[in-house]
Amino acid sequence: MSIILDEQTRVLVQGITGNEGRFWTQHMMDCGTNVVAGVTPGKEGQMVRDVPVFHTVKRATATMDVDASLLFVPPQLAKDAVLEALNAGIKKIVVLCDGIPLHDTLQMRKSAQMAGAMVIGGNTSGIISMGKAMMGFFPYWLDRVYKPGRIGIMTRSGSLTNEVTSELVKAGFGASSLVGIGGDSVPLTRFAEVLPLFENDPDTDAVVIIGELGGTMEEEVAEAMENGIFTKPVISFLGGRTAPKGKKMGHAGAIITAGKGTVEDKIAALNEAGAYVAKKPSMVGELLKDVFVKQNN
Amino acid sequence: MKLFEHQAKALFEGANIPVPNRAVIKNRSELDDAISQVGLPCVIKAQVLHGGRGKAGLIKVAEEKEEAKEKVTDVIERAENTPDLLIEEAVAIANEFYVSMTADPSTGSVMMMGSAEGGIDIEEVARTMPEKIIKTNVNVNEGLLPYQAREFLFDLGIEKKMIGQGTKLLLNLYDVYRKHDAELVEINPLMVTEEGNFVAGDGKITIDDNALFRHPQFSLTREHFDDDVQYAAAIEGIPYLQFSGDIGLMCAGAGLTNAVYDLVNDHGGSVASYLEFGGPNYHKAVKSMELIMQNEIKVLLVVTFGTIARADVMAQGLVDAIKEHKPEFPIVTAIRGTGEEAAHDILRDFGLEPLSDTEEAVKKAIKLTGGVPTQ
Repeated sequence: MSIILDEQTRVLVQGITGNEGRFWTQHMMDCGTNVVAGVTPGKEGQMVRDVPVFHTVKRATATMDVDASLLFVPPQLAKDAVLEALNAGIKKIVVLCDGIPLHDTLQMRKSAQMAGAMVIGGNTSGIISMGKAMMGFFPYWLDRVYKPGRIGIMTRSGSLTNEVTSELVKAGFGASSLVGIGGDSVPLTRFAEVLPLFENDPDTDAVVIIGELGGTMEEEVAEAMENGIFTKPVISFLGGRTAPKGKKMGHAGAIITAGKGTVEDKIAALNEAGAYVAKKPSMVGELLKDVFVKQNN
Repeated sequence: MKLFEHQAKALFEGANIPVPNRAVIKNRSELDDAISQVGLPCVIKAQVLHGGRGKAGLIKVAEEKEEAKEKVTDVIERAENTPDLLIEEAVAIANEFYVSMTADPSTGSVMMMGSAEGGIDIEEVARTMPEKIIKTNVNVNEGLLPYQAREFLFDLGIEKKMIGQGTKLLLNLYDVYRKHDAELVEINPLMVTEEGNFVAGDGKITIDDNALFRHPQFSLTREHFDDDVQYAAAIEGIPYLQFSGDIGLMCAGAGLTNAVYDLVNDHGGSVASYLEFGGPNYHKAVKSMELIMQNEIKVLLVVTFGTIARADVMAQGLVDAIKEHKPEFPIVTAIRGTGEEAAHDILRDFGLEPLSDTEEAVKKAIKLTGGVPTQ
């Protein structure tokens, strides 16, 4: 099993005829993703590989069953495209682009909550269920970076994820599903909202969380552990531990404001809840080994 | 993007939020006109973006014209660059409050915050007396509703006869927040005059950079930055920060750059500059090098692990940047991800050693600064 996405999931790609949409749709299909349709206004009748393109999401869903939608659209159009998918009844949506206006995000999050849907992103590489399917872009073909396995991963970052997963593989582990929460200050889905899915996934033994300074998502993970909502081992690495206060460190969400969002506080909360915190990426693999040695004794 | 106080107050005025009579002047010669417009006594306020203006002597009250002239000179001398000055009527204040609106990431709502402790450092109050802060969550799809504003105002301890006026003010402030794609709108202090009217004593608005395309009337200026390099980087859309250490970081991916930043510090090194050329900027190595070279650094450390940001493109970019700008400092690289084999060939052919391990690269960079990596 895996979470959110597997080889059965019928995936729609909004913005499929653009350069990136076309390129990554090919990769997604190569790694097993069941891409059933694409949408680009004005391009109905075209095919991308053997995938039919429709003018609108509604025209696609009227013709075939769709479980999830992936958006290759620029940030200025993200809100419109997400609401189009939500209003067509799609319950799993991944929006990749960086630079979505904050107020658009607030509206999307409320609309998703009302619809009982999960919208993931923005500013993310997407999600991948290793060896099964991918919505987004991961270098799954690099063996030393991505291998199927039994570790769930959630992350606020792209390149850092490649760094950490390569350490995971080096230590002999692989991933079940990887969920890119994204680097925005208001992610459309939060770490703690994904945790119950990993809790219920029999193929996930532990979860690695790649977080960073800013916000309170890591603290919410600690809370979920303390409340018994998540009971599997958690190993985390958090970037920006030595970052100065008040500076935006790359991601929109990576900033310490009003004394809140320091990595120090996050580490304290996670340790308190029984999570393991790696001081550097290379320690993630070592900590995982320790966890499973302990469990087997 | 932060707005100056006078810009914020202009937006407030446009939304029917009461603000004091005021005039913006660029130098002392415009003071007479300003005073005849706003009257005496008046308040002289330097238009700078950082907080703590009162403590820094950048806000002064003057009773008389001569005094105003002296104080204008004084404020201009204390300010770093020559800022605009806001000349404002001095309002007789009976009471002060705090109100702000911002996004609450955990609920995805707008958070309206208020306190009867006006004019103070709200972050300090939040830390020491959180019970003195009133919070209301607003669903953006419903907007701020009058009943929520009333509840909020009663909880703040606003007098009954001022609830109607206060409700209007909050609804108007919410309009400013929404209409201008603000990350933050703040009135601190929200003054109550002796006649019983609300007036915005100060105004802070931060416009969401991602939404600036909808607000072309606002543009970043040199005044928004500490120095020329940071301004140049921002215009280019390249995240760049400057510190006082030895190692220049030119990395791709914000998360990875932050992790490298920590590793340098953990191993006993120090960071001189933070430049992130990932995402849409991965082909901007030449421009990035130009920015990096405007700060003194001893070693350049390039760490990447990209998917769309291809390793071979970034390696070639780095080589082109070295050819064009001929930096004299040594360069350490760990460039990996999509196209990494080709990247390593490009670097080797040019005489740069391609490393694959981030920690190894960090330690090597520290050694090259003359330091000894710890651990």
